[in-house]
Amino acid sequence: MAWEPLGWLRRFRRAWWVAWRITVLNVRAQLEYRGDFLMVIASGIVWQMSILVFATVLLARFSGLGGWNSSQVLLIVGMRLFSHALYVLVFGRATNLTYLVQEGMVEVWLVRPMPAFRQAQLAHFPSNGIGDLIVGVSLFTAAVSRSAVHWTPGRIAFLFAGVIGGMLMEGAIGVTLASLTLHHPTASYWNMWVDELWQRLGAIR
Amino acid sequence: MAEPDLTAPAAATHRRAWRAARITPYGEVLSPPRLTATAIRLAVQVFLAGCLWGALYSHTSSSAGLTREQAVSYAVLAALAARIRNLDRAAGRDTITQHLRFGTIVYWFLRPLPPRTYYAIRALGDQLYGFVWVLAGYLVCRACHMVAAPASAGAALAFAAALILGQLVLYHIMLIIDLVCFWALRNNGATMILQLTQNMLSGVYAPLWFFPGWFVTLSGFLPFQATLNIPLSLYIGRIPVSEAPHHLAVQAGWVVTLALFTRWLWHRAGLRIVSQGG
Repeated sequence: MAWEPLGWLRRFRRAWWVAWRITVLNVRAQLEYRGDFLMVIASGIVWQMSILVFATVLLARFSGLGGWNSSQVLLIVGMRLFSHALYVLVFGRATNLTYLVQEGMVEVWLVRPMPAFRQAQLAHFPSNGIGDLIVGVSLFTAAVSRSAVHWTPGRIAFLFAGVIGGMLMEGAIGVTLASLTLHHPTASYWNMWVDELWQRLGAIR
Repeated sequence: MAEPDLTAPAAATHRRAWRAARITPYGEVLSPPRLTATAIRLAVQVFLAGCLWGALYSHTSSSAGLTREQAVSYAVLAALAARIRNLDRAAGRDTITQHLRFGTIVYWFLRPLPPRTYYAIRALGDQLYGFVWVLAGYLVCRACHMVAAPASAGAALAFAAALILGQLVLYHIMLIIDLVCFWALRNNGATMILQLTQNMLSGVYAPLWFFPGWFVTLSGFLPFQATLNIPLSLYIGRIPVSEAPHHLAVQAGWVVTLALFTRWLWHRAGLRIVSQGG
């Protein structure tokens, strides 16, 4: 069968439209519990702030880290938090795969006319990513404005490539570990470990 | 006629308690992948903590009243201590949140055993199992000179007492986090915030001595610093042994306060459970 570009484009647009509709429904379902919705966003803010507090405390006590001065470390931390926020919003559902496997949702996904991975990513909306994004964007913006780097178009493109690359790297690791839970539930231990590793040491190392 | 064995009921009770306490640890011990994951997680976490704090002190000998040796010891011990209540019950669908969601929480209130007693027995089993890992890790770290010896024999005794009290405080904090589920159908946000706050204010990320003075003062009014910061500060000698009675009294006060509060919460939680119309 010959490849039909218009047909492919139509299917591509429809897939994104369905994903958007499901995401909107997920958000509306979460808004039924307004208090918890706001608390989840706050938890994302607290998660990111804990990293920021940790980095700030160390910068205040120790002059520079590994030869980097404070504005350079702040830029690294800002990039890290921004890319993590993007990861949570785009790929963050992967960490819940353990519980969805326990509930038997994977069997349901396999009989639907949609790829199972896409359904895993649309299983719920990670509201904590909103909180992560608020802090990530704020710190990233502040770090860039304080940085002594002379920003050329090339360097700006490189900067955003680094942020996107961080998101994709974190997503690759998260999705790989999550896929292991399809074979053994104990793989969730590795997810938890990577999560706490990034939280405590991801920006500073 | 043979004398009745008056110790038999007590022995049976202890056997039942032991069987309940070992449920989660048993699940991990019988699963080699979990054991492997736990060992690797702990080893990497401890190694990175030691490397990080060693590197931070590469250009200075003292900061916030801590020498390099004290800071590295604190960080490594904090990484080890975080393991004590870190068993994953969620993989076995055994958290209170999951029991509430699937309705199996009702069995906790139908057993001939108060649910708070059952929860305490399970938590004791988890903490004792976690402590075995911590002890093994501590011995390895001492052999590798990553952790210094206690500041003195008195510091070691004070540390042991503070560690036990700290674990009791941590138990009640975790219990409060779990009991929130009985009122909030969805408590993901509250749970995450409380756990992050506990980690930050207990000194898991960094010794509280590095934080600004107002932060240290604020944390003194909260129970979180009693779980880890006090015991570890006594161990490394940052809190002198002469001040140990005061800090131990603070911990004991929090244990009593939180015990009364959680007892009341359990009673209120039980009123929200309906089983067969009662």
